[in-house]
Amino acid sequence: MSHGRDGSEASAGADASAPDAFEENVLTLMPALRRYSRSLARSDSDGEDLLQDCVEKVLARRQQWRGVNLRAWVFTIMTNLYRNRHRHRALHPEVEYDEALGHVAEEQNADPLQSRLLERALDRLSAENRSVLMLVVIEGYRYQDVAEMMAIPIGTVMSRLSRARRQLAEAMKDDNVIALRRPK
Amino acid sequence: MTDEFSTVSEDELHAYVDGHLGQPERERVEAWLERHPARAEEVREWQAQAAALQQHYAPYARDEEGDRGLLSTRRDQGDAVAPPHAPVLRRIAAGLLIFAAGVLAGTYTAPTLAPDRPLETAESPDSLPRQAQSAFLVYASEVRHPVEVGADQQAHLATWLGKRLDYGLKIPDLSALGLSLVGGRLIPVNGTAGAMLMYEDGSGQRLTVLLGRNRDNRETSFRIASQGGLETFYWIDGEIGYAVTGEVPRSVLQKVADECYRQFEASDAS
Repeated sequence: MSHGRDGSEASAGADASAPDAFEENVLTLMPALRRYSRSLARSDSDGEDLLQDCVEKVLARRQQWRGVNLRAWVFTIMTNLYRNRHRHRALHPEVEYDEALGHVAEEQNADPLQSRLLERALDRLSAENRSVLMLVVIEGYRYQDVAEMMAIPIGTVMSRLSRARRQLAEAMKDDNVIALRRPK
Repeated sequence: MTDEFSTVSEDELHAYVDGHLGQPERERVEAWLERHPARAEEVREWQAQAAALQQHYAPYARDEEGDRGLLSTRRDQGDAVAPPHAPVLRRIAAGLLIFAAGVLAGTYTAPTLAPDRPLETAESPDSLPRQAQSAFLVYASEVRHPVEVGADQQAHLATWLGKRLDYGLKIPDLSALGLSLVGGRLIPVNGTAGAMLMYEDGSGQRLTVLLGRNRDNRETSFRIASQGGLETFYWIDGEIGYAVTGEVPRSVLQKVADECYRQFEASDAS
């Protein structure tokens, strides 16, 4: 398994089964986990909410961790929580569009309008397509890792990735903004 | 496209964008893209997307002061919740592994799932999977109250639901498949009292087993119904219809259905 772009190493280690080591290892994952939860969520507060639910679940289920690759295990729990919530929201749509965007991204990004459009385009993706896209693009997971984490065939990973990329491109065009910066 | 470079697949284009290719493959893809400007434009778009996404979410990859507190305060709640489930927890540790293995195996060939029985073609059994799927959609997404009676009161759950269904309900033990019981609830099926049992694996992936009385008193073999990524295996066995539903690969669901069938059958016989 790859460990993503930030290179957090929290996998394995027999000592990690000790309570303190477990928590310390989860703690080293927090930055990547916060980024992943935010990349799935519609707003900063939504993202923090998801992150807290995830931490709660991880701690409640610590006995179920098999002792290998804590990072992938925790990310899988986050992905499932997100899918459950997303499904719930589809049934009970009380969307908070106004507070939908966060402050952090806007502080950092030159163009707040651009971030807003990007987020709105992302919100049109299905939960499945969005999580595959984020695991690959933001968290740097390999396709095979994503397949294992989500318990789906690798072909499904590829088709979700492809759909996510095309839908995102379409959505950005719909908004009539091609403001994405090109890499060198 | 008939030129000699027409061997680049869609998957390779993604791998190229995501930087998963080695030097020679990268060069091959680039040579191909030069000859396919439309795809090259699309690839540039994907690269731009990736760069924008990375830039957009990078600031969130940070520690916050409250993180340590989050971990320690939540821990107490976690421990307080854990004990009722503790006996099951050890057995379901293999949950993720089994799910992954089922996928890797790919073409999982089902064991003899159901005895040979005449297939019914009437519409009425079809309402069973539909009801099972709505129940799944409504309750599997509930974070706080997915069930009325939790797994810690399993004996009570079996008696209570069994009484309402007028059926000697035995709750299947799916721990061998990495699934632990979350609990159950009473639910209308075919306009009368039915039962829904909910299970989840070590990663929080949920599955439901729906039981409903079947007035027509007929039988069907195993059938599958899928809708929007939801898969349902269902069968009718005399007075009771059963439906196993989840957002999991069919091979996994099939194992669960097979196990339920086996255990329900056994409880009938006893």
